[in-house]
Formats: sequence, structure tokens, C-alpha cells
Amino acid sequence: MVESGFYDLNVYSVPDDSDKVCELAAIAKHLGYSGIAINDPDPSIDRSYPAGLAGIGIFSGVQIKIQNSSKLHGIVEKFRNRVDIITVHGGNESINRAAVENPKVDILTQMNVGTESGFNHVLAKEASDNKVAISFDLGDLIRLRGGSRVHVLSNFRKDLQLVRKYDVPFLLTSSPRSWYDMRAPRELIALASLFGMSREEAISGLTVIPQMLISRSCPPVGYLCEGVQVIRTELISEGSEGLNGDDVR
Amino acid sequence: MKILPPTLRARKRYLAFEIIAEEPVRRDDLIRELFSAAGSLLGDVGASECAIRLLAFEDSRGVVRCSPERTDNTRAVLATIRDVKGTRIICHVLGISGTVQGATKKYLAGADVFNPKEQSHINE
Repeated sequence: MVESGFYDLNVYSVPDDSDKVCELAAIAKHLGYSGIAINDPDPSIDRSYPAGLAGIGIFSGVQIKIQNSSKLHGIVEKFRNRVDIITVHGGNESINRAAVENPKVDILTQMNVGTESGFNHVLAKEASDNKVAISFDLGDLIRLRGGSRVHVLSNFRKDLQLVRKYDVPFLLTSSPRSWYDMRAPRELIALASLFGMSREEAISGLTVIPQMLISRSCPPVGYLCEGVQVIRTELISEGSEGLNGDDVR
Repeated sequence: MKILPPTLRARKRYLAFEIIAEEPVRRDDLIRELFSAAGSLLGDVGASECAIRLLAFEDSRGVVRCSPERTDNTRAVLATIRDVKGTRIICHVLGISGTVQGATKKYLAGADVFNPKEQSHINE
């Protein structure tokens, strides 16, 4: 059983406080994470996080929260080359739909509002085709109590059914707003079991899928486009025929 | 009265945990919060099936006893505790064992209580 390499890709940071990022990273490392993605509240400032601070990977992220789905694609385009992880804060069905239809979006979170489930079989299929990961935000289970938590749990149960059926990539996140909101990976697995997620599914939602999203935005050396990779480069002497400069696979 | 033979005794699991907080929390406050969280998440029936009980708690570290089939639920209950009497906390489970001694020796002995403030300064 592989239990290393846990990631939480939906951490919020407070504006202009790099100490807070260090604190978050320290606590995440103590709880057993190998990487977190920090959603910068003000992405217009170019901030570089010290890579591998205290033995934990820190990735830059942005969370897009909009009222009108028509602007989404433009905003995604603007941030795609600037941050590692793009998260869309869902809301109504049209925003969720715009998010899952855009392959450049990494994560769709908070799809459900109150009792309304913003996710259905059509969106599930789109998300699966475009490889947009659906995030089960367990922070809600921790923060809420009573009736609203009941709605969250029952929505998650429905979503999980669709996610399994259409093979949609999914993540577990805790969306901490301060370090007090962080929970250890095993605690998240236990919380996910409350709405019927199996242990193996939960582990893959904390390890395999986040790693896939990270490697997608930070491609390996020699990557050209999907399925094409430079293996070696040979210099061809002048006069020889053919135009094979690069050996491609 | 004759004691219950070992074969008839209910089996248990012991969860060693640490409380990460800026101020120390008191044992009775933690117990109140623990049962309130269990009641809210699992209901009275579920909480009784879990058979949660706080055993030793000292120096921000302690042991919780529960039923062996319900360790996941107990973990989830501990994860939903957000604050104890106004002090925000993280309850971090360090490990699970079949005996109190195992849990204490393996997971609690020697481990330092984590303080995020100090830790982040060391890293800088």
C-alpha cells in the first residue's frame, strides 16, 4: 500500500503574509503531506514560493470565482501560463458546465450550493473527456454542522456515484483558510468514508490524481505535446538526406 | 463477583493523538467537545456504537478508546473538532494500536508537541 506523496491542492493564503505560507507549509509537512498548492488571493503580483521549502513542494494556484460563466475562458487563458493549478469555484450549473468544458481548468470545486446539486451525468461526461478533476471539499464537512452538513454529505454521495460511473478524476481537498483548518491525509480518508468512498479511492484522490495534475502543468524535460516527447537530439551533417532532426516518439 | 473472562470482553482500539493549538486545552473541555462532535456527526446511536472514550490526556497528547470496527468513524469525529472552548485546535491522530501500552509506547513516547510558530522559524 503506497501511502506517501499526499497532496492538498486547495490551500488559501492570507494576502501579503509570507510567514503564513511558511506556517502552512510547516504544519502540512508535520501532518504528512508532500506538497500543497497555495491559492494566491492576489495573483496579479508575481510571487515565487521557495521551491522545496522545508522538504515540502509548494505549488502556485489560483481560484477563479465568477458570477457569469461567459468570462471564465478568458480568465483561465490569462492565468494558464502563470500558475500551476487553476481551480474554478463552481456555483450554478452554467459555471460548472463552462469549467468542465475547458481542458485548461485543473479542478472544479464547490459545485453544490446548499441543497442544490450542481453536478449531473452530462457534466460528469464532459469532465471525464476533458480531464477536469472534481474536488470533494471535505472542509465543508468539518466547518458545517446539522442540516447543511447533511446536504453536503448527500450531495457528495450522489456525485460519487456519477464520478464512478463516468470515470471522472477526483480529488480530496480540505480547503484550509488557516493552518487550524488543515487535517492529516488519513483523517481526510476517514471523512471521505462517511459518504461511501472506499479507502483505495480516497488514497488515489490524495496521491495519484494530484500528481497527475501537477505533472500536467509542470511537464517533464523534452515534452512537446500530448504523446510526443523528445528522446534524443542528433546533429545531422550537411548534405545528408531527410529532415529528422529530432527523434520523436 | 467473578470477573468477565477475557474471551467475552469487547475488543478495543486505542488511538494516540496530539492536539495542535496555541494554548493548552483542558481535559474536561476536550471531553465535552469530543462528545458534542460525535453526537453531531454520528448521532447518539452511532456514537454509542463507536464507544468513544477519552483515556489519558496530558501535555496536549492523549489516547482515545473506541470499538475496533469504528476506527474510521472515530477518526472522522476527531477531525471535525474545530475548537475547544474558543481555542482553535487540530486533533491529529498519530497512530492506532490494540493496547493502551502499544499506543503510548509507539506513538506518544518521545514525540515532541508540534508548535507551528516555532517550526516555521526553524525552517527559514
